Amino acid sequence: MTLDDLTRTSGEWLRGTGPESDIVMCSRIRLARNLADFPFTNRGSRTEKTEIESHFRSAISAAKLELLYFDVNSLSSLDRQFLVERQIISRELSGSEGPRGVAISSQENVAIMVNEEDHLRIQYMLSGFRLNEVWDEINALDDQLEENLAFAYNPSLGYLTACPTNVGTGIRVGVMLHLPGLVQTKQIDKVFRALQKINLAVRGLYGEGSQAFGDFYQISNQQTLGKSEQELIRILTDVVPQVLQYERQARQTLVTERRQHLHDQVSRAYGVLKTAQTISSEETMLLLSSVRMGINLGLIDDLSIATVNELFIQTQPAFLQKLRGSELGVEERNVARASHLRSRLANGRMATGES
Amino acid sequence: MICQRCKNEASVHLTERKGGKRQELHLCMACAKKAGLGLPESPPNLALDAVVQSLIVANVGELVGELAELACPDCGIKFMEFRAQGRLGCPQDYRVFGRGLLPLLQRVHGATRHVGKGARKRPGAIQRLRLRSQLREAIAREDYEEAARLRDQLRLKDIHA
Repeated sequence: MTLDDLTRTSGEWLRGTGPESDIVMCSRIRLARNLADFPFTNRGSRTEKTEIESHFRSAISAAKLELLYFDVNSLSSLDRQFLVERQIISRELSGSEGPRGVAISSQENVAIMVNEEDHLRIQYMLSGFRLNEVWDEINALDDQLEENLAFAYNPSLGYLTACPTNVGTGIRVGVMLHLPGLVQTKQIDKVFRALQKINLAVRGLYGEGSQAFGDFYQISNQQTLGKSEQELIRILTDVVPQVLQYERQARQTLVTERRQHLHDQVSRAYGVLKTAQTISSEETMLLLSSVRMGINLGLIDDLSIATVNELFIQTQPAFLQKLRGSELGVEERNVARASHLRSRLANGRMATGES
Repeated sequence: MICQRCKNEASVHLTERKGGKRQELHLCMACAKKAGLGLPESPPNLALDAVVQSLIVANVGELVGELAELACPDCGIKFMEFRAQGRLGCPQDYRVFGRGLLPLLQRVHGATRHVGKGARKRPGAIQRLRLRSQLREAIAREDYEEAARLRDQLRLKDIHA
């Protein structure tokens, strides 16, 4: 499989299956790990980073992990952006320099970044609300890597990381939620404040630094030291259902109090996406968000959640350019985006066959 | 288009239907916010790096005495550099800068001791870190004979299986 092949598939996490998948797009856990005998990435020499890369690649082949490795250092900026859009690498890895890479599984559940802020950033994602399953998977993967790699660890501080905010478990437990109801009923800020009070972070679709995108929000832990992985997961599995309940109530309010308005908004959004000849990324996100909620409320019945989920990623700039096989300016992208949307939405349910 | 409530440029445009009548509203961001119509605020902790940075500065205190001068013998980073950049240089820094880091860990995590998964023991890591730092120095002063010797030593004692 090459990077170009990825334009014809989509990640498992977009499948729209699993518990609570009307609101929970995906569950994700990442672990920060460093090799014990190397300086952290920011102080590593080129040679040392190359050695880290090769130790990692030996470890995945020794563990017989079926992962595909991309040497990010040799990828074009378009290809790097493409991996960022798919949530496979971070903006930080894309934008940094020197030997670095990412290993992914064919379904894109696993993505292990090498020489990011930490030597290894191991990520596991599943669609729907399934944090415990994700933990079982990533914990096993971590064990397999540790068979052949010596991780920086000390008994009193746990796994040692480049930034002290990740030390201890090195774990980030997160869920990506679609919250259009709370946004439209203007309760979203209240929810953010409540989450912050209990030390949970809220970010947009593309992590730190990005604005809320298509009403998607990622909620994750900030504390990594002093609580076990299971305890940190439990905080999320306790709190997220409450957020889901608020979102469902908000949607119910919209349905009962503004049914006609809502139906109108959803239908218009769907109409525009199916027929537009040129459309910006912002408008696409906004309209897809309405359509996604419309499907969940039974206002649209000829389109699958999986298709809409995929379209959030497939209407991003790098994907469109990979699809066309050439670099496109903003105007050309808007035309390509509209054309891709029309072709994916033309056959309703039939359009899901890609993955 | 001009804001209907003040004279600034309008950037929020709304169409509402009230009792069958179509009502248009054009407001600037500030007036829209006042009217409770602004866009949802972006998530509160976007600038995580900045937050981390301010926490570090606030919690490792003023650099007084020996802490300010402290440097890691293995990676060479000074405590002052960590305070400015927010990133440590190598795993040994947690031991070397322990005293300076504890208040920060307490503030960020509300704890200073790890609970949870343990890694298996792999002796020899510290020694190898040191060899690597000697290797870097040898290369820097163009002592290639010494560099070759250190590289062989590292090869012999590889801790990664």
